[in-house]
Amino acid sequence: MREFRKDALAIRKRFLRMHFEAQAGHIGTGLSCLDLLTFLYKSRLRRPGQPGGDQFILSKGHGASALYATLNFYGLLTDELLATYYKDGTLLPAHPAPGALPTIPAATGSLGHGLPIAAGLAFAHQVLRPSDTRVVCLLSDGDCNEGSVWEAAMFAAHHRLANLTVIVDANGLQGFGRTRDVLDIEPLARKWDTFGFDTIELDGHDFEEIRDALTQVISKDRPRCLIARTIKGKGVSFMENRLEWHYLPMKPEQFAEAMRELEKAGESL
Amino acid sequence: MRVDFTPAVHQALADDPASVFITGALGYNALEEVAAAYGPRFLNAGVAEQNMVGVAAGVALAGFRPWVYSIAPFAVYRCFEQLRNDVCLHRLPVRLVGNGGGFTYGIMGSTHHALEDLGALKTLPNLELFFPGTNDHVAAAVRLMRDLPGPAYLRLGISGFASARAPLSENPRTLTRHYAQGSRVTVIGVGHAVQIALTALEQQDLAALGVDLYGISRFPFDLESDAALVESVRKTGTVLVLDEHYRAGSIAESLRLALPPVPYFEALTARYEPSQRYGSAQFLLRQSGLTPEAVREAILELRS
Repeated sequence: MREFRKDALAIRKRFLRMHFEAQAGHIGTGLSCLDLLTFLYKSRLRRPGQPGGDQFILSKGHGASALYATLNFYGLLTDELLATYYKDGTLLPAHPAPGALPTIPAATGSLGHGLPIAAGLAFAHQVLRPSDTRVVCLLSDGDCNEGSVWEAAMFAAHHRLANLTVIVDANGLQGFGRTRDVLDIEPLARKWDTFGFDTIELDGHDFEEIRDALTQVISKDRPRCLIARTIKGKGVSFMENRLEWHYLPMKPEQFAEAMRELEKAGESL
Repeated sequence: MRVDFTPAVHQALADDPASVFITGALGYNALEEVAAAYGPRFLNAGVAEQNMVGVAAGVALAGFRPWVYSIAPFAVYRCFEQLRNDVCLHRLPVRLVGNGGGFTYGIMGSTHHALEDLGALKTLPNLELFFPGTNDHVAAAVRLMRDLPGPAYLRLGISGFASARAPLSENPRTLTRHYAQGSRVTVIGVGHAVQIALTALEQQDLAALGVDLYGISRFPFDLESDAALVESVRKTGTVLVLDEHYRAGSIAESLRLALPPVPYFEALTARYEPSQRYGSAQFLLRQSGLTPEAVREAILELRS
């Protein structure tokens, strides 16, 4: 899995540079899902964004910059476009824009919207026009506060949408506190299991666990849910598990320190 | 109107193999035939309107063209953000159908009334609104919606003062109907509120008052196409609009802004009574002062 770790490290650097240059926040949330995105785009999603290709819906729209950086790293978003991130006139705002890129089918940013859309896509590709298209939807744990998520979960399980994989980026922090203090949604795995999903709990930064959770054969007629335990701000020690990095942009010395830390992590790979 | 909607949408589903029908657990004694005819293309999404509209957006992103059905208040209010974000911002061909606009659901109570549906929806980008005036007008709206590339809303209703008559003419593009020729006052019925005016036409001798009567059924307006209506307004300088909708956000308000300025403009609209008295659609219309008698009085007032 060394190749995955190398890629993720390179994407982290790209991601931090984007945020530093744009003076943009939402850094912690991007870092928590970045390893998951790396795995998805390096080895799981087939022909994403192309007709008949697999579909990825980022329900946690505030992770858009991590998705942009990942798409760029894998050649699915040009350097020229990425350079416009966060600037006036860009197609790449802080939350994905509607219909701006073929690789990002849906605008998200208000939580609770991604899974119903993903369920509709999965229903279309499994029931209405059966194909081998996979649909993957990435949620935050804060997302799971929204009732529409559970409406969609019931729908997906009822229609046995085995082509649908939900990943919950459970970093334990939401906009104004720890999820367990704000509106405790644990036990997440039992909830998703009870709602009819094949549910696997894993370390969302461990590529072997991510691979196994996505690929192991469980049942053939249930949607799947990965509860990915992650660390908000993962990879930059002074950001890890800190609420303020949901919002803060980096100062020059912080950016330099973060990049030094990532360089060092690269040496040990 | 629901009785006329069913065969119309049945036909639309037959015409367009990429279309699907999604209901929010409603349609008993109305949609059974559609359900039986279209297999997986008929989907009952359960009592979960937010998910229903999100699913419709996902289905549309995969290349399908869903019709989404519920009663009007349920189809619009809870899932408003899904309509805005998932459907309208993406210009997806999702055709939302709200049965029971205005006071249609009468004695069912205020939770079942839709007096804000058009007002809420007319703010949304890319969304076309259709509000047929009479039962025989529904199929034409469904056909127009079938062919639209983007999202649309259909408001079905039953008037508390049910009436119908053959129009003198109809604009096939806007569905605007001209019902009576006159030169003193332009009366415009919004959607099924036109039936109040049609009843007044029968009972209140409106013809003698010089009423030029139109029914409008589509928003955004296309007043270039409805040049005859604009000409009528210019000529009479006096406009009365009937709208079974809250005044704030009504189509009547939008008409006032869109039409040429006139010296005399009045709108009869719906309201909730603080008294909280409920009854049939006609009872509720009477409480709101939306009656054939009130139409006559308002015309006399405007003329004086």
